[in-house]
Amino acid sequence: MNDKHLSMHRVRKNYRFFTLDDVSLELEPGQIMGFVGPNGAGKSTTLRLAMGMVAPDAGEIRVLGCAMPADQAAAKRDVGFVSAEMRLLPHATIEWHMNFMKAIYPEWDGGYAATLVKRFNLRPEQNARSLSLGEHVKASLLLALARRPRLLILDEPTTGLDPVARHDVLSELLDVLRDERRSILFSSHNTVDVERISDSITFIDRGRIVDSNNKEDFLDRWRRIHLQLPPGSSLPELPNIVGRVTDGQFVTLTTNRFSEGLRALIGPHVREVQRMTLEEIFVANVMHHREARGQ
Amino acid sequence: MNLVIRKLIAKELYVNRWFVAGGTFSGAASVLIAMLGKTAFNIGALTWLTTIIATGVMLALYGIMNERKEHALQFVLSLPLSIAGYVRAKMFGLAASFLIMWSVSCAAALLLVFAHDGVPDGLAPYLVLLCVFMLANFAVVLCGALQALTEALTSAVIIVTNMGVSIFMFTVGPLPGISAHMWGPAPVWNSTFWTVLGCELAVLVIAFALPFFLAARRRDFV
Repeated sequence: MNDKHLSMHRVRKNYRFFTLDDVSLELEPGQIMGFVGPNGAGKSTTLRLAMGMVAPDAGEIRVLGCAMPADQAAAKRDVGFVSAEMRLLPHATIEWHMNFMKAIYPEWDGGYAATLVKRFNLRPEQNARSLSLGEHVKASLLLALARRPRLLILDEPTTGLDPVARHDVLSELLDVLRDERRSILFSSHNTVDVERISDSITFIDRGRIVDSNNKEDFLDRWRRIHLQLPPGSSLPELPNIVGRVTDGQFVTLTTNRFSEGLRALIGPHVREVQRMTLEEIFVANVMHHREARGQ
Repeated sequence: MNLVIRKLIAKELYVNRWFVAGGTFSGAASVLIAMLGKTAFNIGALTWLTTIIATGVMLALYGIMNERKEHALQFVLSLPLSIAGYVRAKMFGLAASFLIMWSVSCAAALLLVFAHDGVPDGLAPYLVLLCVFMLANFAVVLCGALQALTEALTSAVIIVTNMGVSIFMFTVGPLPGISAHMWGPAPVWNSTFWTVLGCELAVLVIAFALPFFLAARRRDFV
């Protein structure tokens, strides 16, 4: 039995100017996965595939054990979806939307919905057409969270939000994870948000997954090593170096598998070994894969 | 029909309530205007016709195109239903919205024909054909809007179907089996009437059924 909340195996989707190719992902119960990529990398396409809104040309997708898109009606009963691009029905109020969801989902938690209305500072009587972007995202999130789905699929939910609204949204997502039967797949190009709440991270670029691991592994493995080489000397062949910038006798190496063994190999020229932020890791990772693919 | 689809049909009736109410009022008011004299009859008939066509177009445009354009489609598709379920809910929801306005407007017009002395009863078969034509016309617009991926294509469908109303009036009106009895004292339900009605019903059934076979099987919906 497939107990993963989401699994994608070798998924391919062709468009005229873009191809999502060989995408494989797995999301375990209780996991929060940050799905990071630059604009146009294929994040939204991947999440829409997971929601059954588009069908793959090849590969297999299962959400909560249901094959997608064939069994999407059953799968989506326990999936909450929010996208920065998504809008509520323009001629209806937030309250109407809440009643609508309550009628569809027996698990709807009215008390939690009321708490979220207050926490997100929303006015139930407000028409969706008059909501700002931030209010729209918060209202959509309220509608998704108050039915307590097992899986939340969030497509750039913090894009365009002010820092306070972002803080509110991220805090609420962290609360969700207190229940370890629930999981979140969260796409963003904002690595700060992803670093804050994710426990695993997948990088995507130009339609391909470039790396996937848990957050701590990423932060532990990637390092920037600053060296100063004496005139006339050169570095030996080093393993696991994904980036190299030389400025006279100063060299900066980027490694995706730092170890004390690597430091020993470089020798006494090391001046500093720096930890990298997730954003730096993301950029270095993407650039390395683009070079490797000759792009 | 499952709960989600039933709720989505109710949602269509709710979000389109002002179109439906406005169209129903305008359709009935047009008939009242038509009772006031010969010139008023022409004005009323024109307003009545415009009301039914415009309400159908607005329902298809706002119900399908705008939902897609304003990204509310993603919200609907995030609910526990399949693409086929969405198409079913949309077709029945918008058809129900249109039928409320259409049935009141058509019933009022038929009442005018049979109850008002100034309008000959012989007009009834032509009126029935016109009413069913507009229903079929709406089904074609709905089918086109669900199938078309772009606003331009939907607009093209709307333009063609609007032209269809003029074509209908210029071709069906002059048919000998229709025109000969149109201004007579009693309605004549002859073979011409039944043939045209049969064609209209065939178009109606095909246009209403087609989305269940085409749009409902589309692989990509956003």
